[in-house]
Amino acid sequence: MSWLPLSFGAPLVLAGLLALPLIWWLLRLTPPKPQTETFPPLKILARVLRKEETPHSSPWWLTLLRLLMAALIIFALADPVFNPRERMSASGDAVAIVLDNGWSTAPDWERRVATAERLITDASAAGIPVVLALTAEPPSTEIGPFEAQAALDHLRAAAPRPVPVDRPTAFGRVAEALAGFAAPSVAVLADGLAAEGDEQAFAALLGNARSNLIWIAPEQITSLALTAADNEVDGFRVTAVRSSADPAPRTVTAGAFDERGRRIADATLGFGPGETMATGDFTVPFELRNDFASVAIDGEPQAGAVRVLDENAKRRRVGLLSQAEADQAQPLLSPLFYIRKAMQPFADLVEPTSADLAQAIPQLLEQRPAMIVMADVGVVPDGARQALIDWVEQGGTLVRFAGSRLAAAGNDEVLLPVPLRLGERALGGALSWTEPQTVREFPATGPFADLAPPSEVTVTRQVLAEPNAELAERTWATLADGTPLITGTRRGEGSVVLFHVTPEATWSNLPISGTFVEMLRRVVQLSRNQGRLDANAETSGGGLPPFRMIGADGVLVPPPADARPLEPGVARVSIENPPGLYGGDEGVVAHNLLNKDAQLVALARPETGLPVTEASYAFDQARDLRGPLFALAALLMVLDTLAVLWMGGAFARRPRRTGVAVAAAALVAFAFGLATFANPTQAQDSQPDDQAAIEAISTTRIAYVITGNSSVDAISRAGMTGLTQFLIDKTALEPGEPAGVDIATDELSFYPLIYWPIDPDAAMPSPEAIARVDAYMQGGGTVLFDTRDQYSTGFDMGSATPATQRLRDILGNLNVPALEPVPADHVLTKAFFIVPEFYGRFTGSPLWVEAVPTSTEAADRPVRTGDGVTPIMITANDLAGAWAVDASGEPMLPTVPADPMQRVYALRGGVNIMMYMLTGNYKSDQVHVPVLLERLGQ
Amino acid sequence: MAGIGEVAPPVASRDALARARTRAALVPDLLVEARRVVNTVISGWHGRRRRGVGENFWQFRPFVEGDAVSRIDWRRSARDEHTYIRDREWEAAHTVWLWADASPSMLYKSKGATVSKESRALVLTLALAELLSRSGERIGWPGLTDPFTARNGAERLATRLAYAPAGSGSRPDFIGVRRFSDVILVSDFLDTPDEAMQWLDPLMRRGVRAHLIEIADPAEESFPYAGRTEFQDPESGERLTAGRAETLAADYRNLYLARRAELASWAKRQGWSYTVNHTDRLASEALVKIHLALSTDAGLGSAGA
Repeated sequence: MSWLPLSFGAPLVLAGLLALPLIWWLLRLTPPKPQTETFPPLKILARVLRKEETPHSSPWWLTLLRLLMAALIIFALADPVFNPRERMSASGDAVAIVLDNGWSTAPDWERRVATAERLITDASAAGIPVVLALTAEPPSTEIGPFEAQAALDHLRAAAPRPVPVDRPTAFGRVAEALAGFAAPSVAVLADGLAAEGDEQAFAALLGNARSNLIWIAPEQITSLALTAADNEVDGFRVTAVRSSADPAPRTVTAGAFDERGRRIADATLGFGPGETMATGDFTVPFELRNDFASVAIDGEPQAGAVRVLDENAKRRRVGLLSQAEADQAQPLLSPLFYIRKAMQPFADLVEPTSADLAQAIPQLLEQRPAMIVMADVGVVPDGARQALIDWVEQGGTLVRFAGSRLAAAGNDEVLLPVPLRLGERALGGALSWTEPQTVREFPATGPFADLAPPSEVTVTRQVLAEPNAELAERTWATLADGTPLITGTRRGEGSVVLFHVTPEATWSNLPISGTFVEMLRRVVQLSRNQGRLDANAETSGGGLPPFRMIGADGVLVPPPADARPLEPGVARVSIENPPGLYGGDEGVVAHNLLNKDAQLVALARPETGLPVTEASYAFDQARDLRGPLFALAALLMVLDTLAVLWMGGAFARRPRRTGVAVAAAALVAFAFGLATFANPTQAQDSQPDDQAAIEAISTTRIAYVITGNSSVDAISRAGMTGLTQFLIDKTALEPGEPAGVDIATDELSFYPLIYWPIDPDAAMPSPEAIARVDAYMQGGGTVLFDTRDQYSTGFDMGSATPATQRLRDILGNLNVPALEPVPADHVLTKAFFIVPEFYGRFTGSPLWVEAVPTSTEAADRPVRTGDGVTPIMITANDLAGAWAVDASGEPMLPTVPADPMQRVYALRGGVNIMMYMLTGNYKSDQVHVPVLLERLGQ
Repeated sequence: MAGIGEVAPPVASRDALARARTRAALVPDLLVEARRVVNTVISGWHGRRRRGVGENFWQFRPFVEGDAVSRIDWRRSARDEHTYIRDREWEAAHTVWLWADASPSMLYKSKGATVSKESRALVLTLALAELLSRSGERIGWPGLTDPFTARNGAERLATRLAYAPAGSGSRPDFIGVRRFSDVILVSDFLDTPDEAMQWLDPLMRRGVRAHLIEIADPAEESFPYAGRTEFQDPESGERLTAGRAETLAADYRNLYLARRAELASWAKRQGWSYTVNHTDRLASEALVKIHLALSTDAGLGSAGA
């Protein structure tokens, strides 16, 4: 069967297909057995039945089904194999398998191993020994010759390495191992990338007597590799290369990751048609760029697509220098104060211990700062000067600020960006006509080009630059009159920047503006870290220990056992120095796989006179079809059974039951749907009692506790209504309808005051309800307890009425502060009316409130103050009874004694309570006003 | 796999009697419309709501010439100037013949039905017997009993049925049936209409009013068979095999219903009633219908009304 990748293990069984016609003949003869039914109206049926020909044999499709079933079983018995494996037989007396396991093999390593396995299996079938060599392994690795089984074990233990292949060494060893064989065949499983020394390597491998060459290379090399990652001024730039054999246009994304592996930025790299190199920029803020620890191309799980970053891309170290004595008493006058404040968030500040510049400058340079800020340093001492110049030339950024010392020191051609005029210029002083100058728009050439010019900054003194041809291009910021405010220029690798004002706010208010911070940030961004922990610098003796390695799959891993410390001067990535970070917690050096100018060149098959078999990497895809065929036959058998049942009428007789089943299934599905729909409905944020809550808080309302006793509740409601009407009449406060609250369920926090008539007959509130009241009081609400039993108290001092007893029970579960009767100077007595006593229907019971601590100068203050309002008030005077009015506005209950003024006093007390509730101690401040006015002498 | 229909064992007449009584208890006393039966007057004990021979007082009417003097009610006549005759209410019994088909086809019971046709027929018959004897009518079973009046008429009928010779029930013997009596025939009427009309012809010619009750099994009417099915006639043992029974259903139903319609319209022309009772429905339904048919005048041959 050449048109199908199909072969049979036992083709003779296929002769069984000849039996199919016999089976067909047999099947045609045996109709299915009918169902017997008793049927009395047979005579009527007989008149109908005469019209139909009764079928005496199976329908054709059932026969076909059965024939198919028989054919399938015959095929299955013939042991068919789909996609049979082609044999890449080695023809010699040994086979050498050379497998590349460099960094580019990681993504499809499984396929490579599968291909090698097939070769080994074939060799095992031929009974010849196997030499198995991996090209990116230490030279000491055993390569054979092995028996096939041992070779398989070695192969399965092998893994891709994050290093380039070393073909010369490996091929040389294979050649040695093959020396004893007459005509071994060689299988090269290449990664497709050319490497150094390929020609000699292949010459050694294929040079001697070889029977044939099996060449397996990937058809397409899609690996990408990062060759550079640089922190530029305007972004973080990565460069990727790809193989020259991959000309199609392609766009990939790269991600930048911080130390913990979190992705913090993305960049897109686009390869044009035929281009082998692409660059991409991470345009993210400078601070974020400092957090980059590694950069990786998405979808490339191999070491070449990952690049680790070291200190070079990190937070800058900035040295601060000042000649002024540190004045600890007046830090605001210290020249470095504002610089320090401005730069602390984004730079590591380094300050010398000595104020003597001759010592301080070398001290700073030892720390290898990226930038040195000199605040008003006049002359740099000669001993330190050359070191400083060298540092700038090597890439340091020197930022200087003007000042009286600089102005007096004279020009310095190297350490100043522009030549200066001696002396300084004062603007807007007492003896000058000029005005203090503002800052003009920043020149487009400077680094501050995209900053908005600070309108609030004025400069009163500055040092002036000598006008010359270069001044304009070196000017980074100018004043309104065109004189430069900031100048800067490059010196070798580094740069020198001069602020023409002092770093403190004496010459201008620039240092205390936000723009100053932005400017310093830009300058810091321009600087490059000098502090690379070079191997030849600090570490003594041996190299840097491995710290974090890039695994073969592009993931940062702890160093493997065979990783050696990075010796000074070693630039090449090898199996001993795999790519990754070397160093320790205090600093690391990145050791990356590819250098800046690396190329990925496709590996060409070496020219050789040997017979060559070319193959491709592939999995062993042979499939035994016996199982599927049997399964198919079984499925057909099930179909056949169903068909026979259907012809016997098994399904048609229960149409109703089927309908019921369908309905039940639909019902179940509907119920499930309903269940899943139930959650979204609940997830909506509208609550059922939203409307009530909105009503409760849209206007101020006085609340009372519903005790459950209808007469008490009616009086409470009428009382609150009466007080509400009185408030509307007499004050600016217009409360809404009184609200009855159930303390067990209703939200209490909507109401400033809750009136709670104690009803001894009502049920004791549950602990949960009391806890809610407690929370309400803690949250700033006030509960007014009214026992309404002033005249019910017995004459016995120890006795308590049931209402009082109930109140005690309730208060026993609440956090009640220390209480006192309202003192005469309490703000409650003055909140709106002057109310010495709080009457209700009864008189005589004091109103208990939270005790206000008496202050020492209480005597000369008209009122005692305390923060907040009392969370609790207790009275026995039946306030609601006195306030209660009926529908026509007439009082409902008589006062005791029946004095009309008592009712007015009671209402005034209620007004005071409400005012106190709503204004708090503001009212106590108000009562100070006369005293304050008096003190002002009016 | 079990079939849809089965042949049920014949029901014992005692059981049928018990069930018949429960059915009959649901139906009010039956007054057979008997205005035409002047000649077959035998005293019964239900008033006919008209003047006649009986025991109960009906009305006083003035004496007219020709009345027998002995019928004068002197007590009434003494109260005024006139002479009155006391009329009595006419109390008469009527003969109703009852017959239920007992042929093998009646033993059929399908899955959808609650009882076999034979059982339903017997229950209906005995329930009618119970009702009629409660009303004092004369009931009889053609070929088995003469008409008789008895309070326990249904019980007696059941007893007679229990001892009746087997196989006597495929066709009734109408020799004793005379004019102006009612005949209630309970059967499945599965013969062709012509055959049925032929054996009912004597009744028609004798002017007997007949009430036909067709007992039908739901499976016979709806034909729920599908697939390859072999049908067997319980009476003749004949067999028929249908390849795909479901294809026959529509034609069969048409024929079946046409037979019923023809028979029913023929019966209506004779002034007879035709009632269909399905065995998956309640027997009481048929009982109520036949009650209505018996107590009203069908309109034909009722010149005396």
